[in-house]
Order: sequence, then structure tokens, then C-alpha cells
Amino acid sequence: MRRRLSGVRVAVLATTLAAVAVGAGSATATTASKASGAVTLKLVVADYGTGPSNTSSKYWQGIVKAFEKANPSIKVNVTTISWTNFDSQVQTMVQNHNYPDITEGDYFSAYAQQGLLYPAKQVLSNPSNLLPVFASQGTYNGVQYGMPFTTSSRTLFYDKKLFAQAGIKAAPTTWAAVKADAAKIKATGKIGFGLPLGPEEAQAESLLWFLGAGGNYMSGGKWTINSPANITAFNFLKGLVSAGDTEPNPGTVDRTPLWEKFAAGDVGMINGSPALIPIIQAAHVLTSSQWASVPIAGEHGPLSDTLGVCDNVAAFKANGHLAQIKRFLDFAYQNQYQLQFDREYDLLPATVSAANALKSDPTFGSFIQALPHAVQYPSNTAWAQVKTDIQNTIGTAVTGSPASVLGNLQQTAQKLGG
Amino acid sequence: MQSLRPLLWIGPAIALIAVVVLWPVVVLVHASFQNIASDGFVVGGAGFTNYNDLWHEPALRGVVVRTVIWVVAVVVVTLLVSLALAQLFNQRLPFRRLARTALIAPWAASVMMTALIFRWALDPYSGAVNIILHALGLVKMGSNTADWLGRPTWALIWMIGVAIFVSLPFTTYALLAGLQSIPDDVYEAARVDGSGTWRTYRLITLPLLRPAILVATTINVINVFNSFPIIWEMTRGGPGYETSTTTTFMFILKQAFIGESAAMSVVNFLLVILVVLLFLRATRWREQVTR
Repeated sequence: MRRRLSGVRVAVLATTLAAVAVGAGSATATTASKASGAVTLKLVVADYGTGPSNTSSKYWQGIVKAFEKANPSIKVNVTTISWTNFDSQVQTMVQNHNYPDITEGDYFSAYAQQGLLYPAKQVLSNPSNLLPVFASQGTYNGVQYGMPFTTSSRTLFYDKKLFAQAGIKAAPTTWAAVKADAAKIKATGKIGFGLPLGPEEAQAESLLWFLGAGGNYMSGGKWTINSPANITAFNFLKGLVSAGDTEPNPGTVDRTPLWEKFAAGDVGMINGSPALIPIIQAAHVLTSSQWASVPIAGEHGPLSDTLGVCDNVAAFKANGHLAQIKRFLDFAYQNQYQLQFDREYDLLPATVSAANALKSDPTFGSFIQALPHAVQYPSNTAWAQVKTDIQNTIGTAVTGSPASVLGNLQQTAQKLGG
Repeated sequence: MQSLRPLLWIGPAIALIAVVVLWPVVVLVHASFQNIASDGFVVGGAGFTNYNDLWHEPALRGVVVRTVIWVVAVVVVTLLVSLALAQLFNQRLPFRRLARTALIAPWAASVMMTALIFRWALDPYSGAVNIILHALGLVKMGSNTADWLGRPTWALIWMIGVAIFVSLPFTTYALLAGLQSIPDDVYEAARVDGSGTWRTYRLITLPLLRPAILVATTINVINVFNSFPIIWEMTRGGPGYETSTTTTFMFILKQAFIGESAAMSVVNFLLVILVVLLFLRATRWREQVTR
């Protein structure tokens, strides 16, 4: 989960060199007060920014300022940590018993297991406002601890300019249309369909095609990596690749460079997330009316379910600040702050009310409509290892035999459990 | 007391070897028998599970065969080209000093940089190699043919080429040093006896060059076997593991299967030792070097 959104962040970072130079650092901002009797909350957040101009520290300082004004007896101390160090620094804090009160970023189910966290229903007045589709990830033993704060979902991006040149009227909704359109775009000398099956995020791209055939990685708690539906999906992709309708050798091509090629106007269609939008804007090739994003095409029609990921808030018990944490989280989860975060970082809201507010937004609308049906990666403990294996080998299924490549993955997954 | 005195002098060296060389080997072997979670925590002992998993890894066979091809091809071609280059640089050529210095360049540059430059030059959309081939009408930009590193066989051929390129300087200099140690009077005697050029080379130069060839081959075998940056920077061992050698395969396994990766490391370690011992035995190293 964290991998996904932090992956998104890396993609954004890669677009500007300056951003990389600054993005590695971490910033600490303090608004602690010496006033006696006041409770100071320790808020630890991951940095979604690409540099000093849009660091998450600014976003949270804005909330904290308004919050402290409304609640003079509570001070909030914000620590912003770069994504690269977020896991290890939070882990160190916990190991040293120097507990934060609230974290936002990666979520560790181990802390819920160890009884370190408050359940969502104790620290939010209206926990049912959190998008229910993301609840399972933060749930341990039937109780939700991890609270989604920001989310992201996948849609099909297409280049209207290339579509017009190739004489295509509308975005494809079925695989057959994808193949026909990709062939027409290929005839204009560009890449028809961008298919990143390299190690960076092959597990996401593959899942989007599995879903199109009614497949998935797991079904009813059992691994189904080599299910007939999944094999059908890769047989289709194999045909698409061998017809030359994709970039050459998709198994060696990663997501970030291919997204940049789409932004440069060299790719007709590609599956993307909102993180692709800033890349398109930075490239200054396609104007906002020259690309669009629609639900992902499936075997017989557009997907009603797409891949969704989220980052979470967790509230720690150790300092006993239950009432103050609740007051702050209720404040921070207001629509205006959810929307501000989404506009700032091109991500999606995690609450029902904020999602409703964005439903007809021209940029985010299609993503929001896909959110309630978001499909998650397996929450199985073996997933981390299975995912690595998928990332490394699934790309060979478009040149070799889909049945045997997916069969090998299934075998590994079953051996690891679940 | 007197008998312990030498220990004072060699002690630090022994300690250094023990800590820097032997201890990591012990830790490595130990790790290969443990069940290690993908976040690095040791879950418990694993017995031979890691080795068993490695043995049943579908990609292993291809990886091992490729490693053999990789080592043999790189070392043999490097040696042949270096023999010729060393001969050339041993002649009195105009600009010999300049030529000898130029040969150092691939050696002086970081291998990673060299590999990166080749990767960029082979880029299917904008690589220099493809631009030249395109201008010659041999390759269409952005086509499957232009994607040299995307096709496993061609990727391996190009990487072998790069590995040879970076191995040439050391090998050539090792052989050049060997050539210069052959005394002139041997050649003079050969000339007096009426031996032709090729005959002289075969019967005098090559046999006398044998110690230098042995050293160069042994070091190259170890280096090429362990070579990581070229493959990693050019293809990451992909697609799948189709351009991986045992070294890059071990590194990729480490991302999620730490115990199995340690098992692969132990196998690599034993393989290198075995290959080098066999080679030295076959060439009767002891006689050559101590003579």
C-alpha cells in the first residue's frame, strides 16, 4: 500500500532534477509551546512534496495553525519525514518508546497486533465517513485501526491528438477495441498501447488486465494467479505485443519512463493513476484538452472495479492523548483539508463526503467514480514476497508461455502460504 | 615468550583477515540455513529448505548455463584480443606511449559508468548506436530490432562485448609485462636457428608467457564470474531472469527471499573456489610460478 503511493511520489520526483535534490531531506517544523497545562500532540507525517515549495510540512502547518486557534489548550508538533526514511524512523521511534501520537503515511499492521493503536471508532466522531472500500487494509481482528487519509485509483489515459490523427472517434471500452485502436496508432508511427510490465510495477499492470477478464490474484482466500481468466488476459497481451501494438519487449519496460513517453505524446493509450497528471503537465506537450482518462477497458466492456491504494493515519495509545487526538483528527479530516491535499498532490480523497464533493471535477471525476469499487492487493502476509516474484517474472509471460509463467508464480505463492 | 613474538607482527594481519574475510563467510553460511522474513527478521532455523528452494527455482538452470557462457566467452575473447594487443604495444610504434595510455581509459572509468553509457547508446528511441544503424538503413528507430537490450540473446551479446571492453586493459597490461620479461637473446638464438615469426611466437613467446596468461586468466575468471554492475545497469538481469548470471540472480532473490539468496551466495562462493582450483590444477600452477 505504502509502496504504491510512495512509488507514485517517486514518479513525481523523477520529473524534475531539482526535486530529487531536495526531496531526499526531511524537514521538522515545530510549533510546540512552553505553556503549562497545554497538551502537545506529536504528529509524524510522510512528505508527499517534491521540494520546499510544496512540502507536506506546509500543508500540515496550515491545519495546525487553524486548529490551535480553535483549541488553545492543545499544541501540535509536526515532524515531516521523507518517504525513503519514513518506515525506519517511525520504527525507531516505537522501538525507543518515543511514541508519536499520530502518524500519516505508511501503516504497520504489526502495531495494531501489539495493541499500540487506538481503534478508528475511538478517535473519529464519524468513522463511517472513511471510504469503506479501504477499510480492510487497516483492520485487525475485525477492528479498524488504520484510517485511510489519501487514496489513488487507476484509469485508462489516452492521447486525443493521436486518436484524432489515427481517425479513432472514442476511447476503447473492450479489449478488441484496444487492439484495433492500438494498431491504428501504431500505423502513425507512435506506440499504440504502453504496457509497463518491467519490475517497477508489473503487479499493478497485470492486475488491471486480470480484472478485465474477471480474474484476480486471490479468490476466496486462495491464490488464483494461474486461473483461466488470468491466462486469458495474458494470452490477449501476448497477441497485442507480438502484433507490435505495444512498445517493444514490455517485460523490460518500467512504468515511470513509459509514463514520461505518454506525456511526451509518443504513446496512444496507457493505464495510469492521478500521479501521471503532473508528469503530463510538466512535459508541456499535451494540453489538458488533448488527453483524457476513462474507465479501463475489459474483455467485454469497461471495468467496474479498478485497482485502488491508500495511505493511512494511525493513532498511538502510549501518550494517553485520546481526547486531544480525536479533536485533531476530526478537525484534519474536514472536507476542505482533504480537498486541499488532493489538489496539492494530485491524489484522491479518503472520505465519502470529500469524494462526493469532487465527483464532477473535470480532472478527478473519472478517478473518483472508480474509487468506491477499488480492488485492493491481497492483504495476505505472503503478498510482499509474492509481489516481488511477480514484478521480476510476470513480464516474460508476453514472450513465453502465459500458462507456465503464471503457473510458476502460483506455485511460489502457494508455497509461501494462503 | 620468544616464540610468541612473531605473533605480534603478523597478529594484526591475521585479525584483519579473520574479521574482514573469514567472519563474513561464516555469517553468510549461517544465514543460508536460516528462515529470514522479507523485512530482515530471523524467524528461525531453516535446515536445508533454502537450498531446496533454490534447487527447485525454475529459473536456476538457465541462470547457471548463462553464467558459464558469460564467463567462458568473456575470458576467452578477452585473452585472445589482449594477446594481439600486447604484441602490438610491445613493438616500437609511433605514438606507442599515447596508445598505451589510451588503453587505460576503459579501466580507469567506473564500470558502472561504462555500462550506463552503453545502455544509453543502445536506447531504442534515441541511442547513438541506433542512430548510426538507422542512418545506414539497418534499423528502424523504436522497433523491436532497435531494442537490443530488450531481447535476451542480443542483450547478452552486447553485455559480453562491454565486459570484454572493460577487461582488456588489465589483461593486456598483464601480458605486456610478461612479454617484456622475455629476454632478447632467446629471440636472437631463434633467429640464428632460422625460426620464422609464427614459429617463434608459438614455440618461444607463448610458452614463456604462460605464467602471465595464467595469472590474467585466473583473475579474469573470478572478476567476470562476480561481475555485477554491467548486467545490473544494462538489463537488471531481465526480462524475467533471462539475462541474469548467478551473481545478479542472487541479488534479485535478496529483495524478498533472503535465506534463498544466501544459499545462492554460498553456492557462488563454492563455485568460484572450485573453478579456480580446477583451473590451477589443470595448468600445474605450482610448477609454473615457483620455477
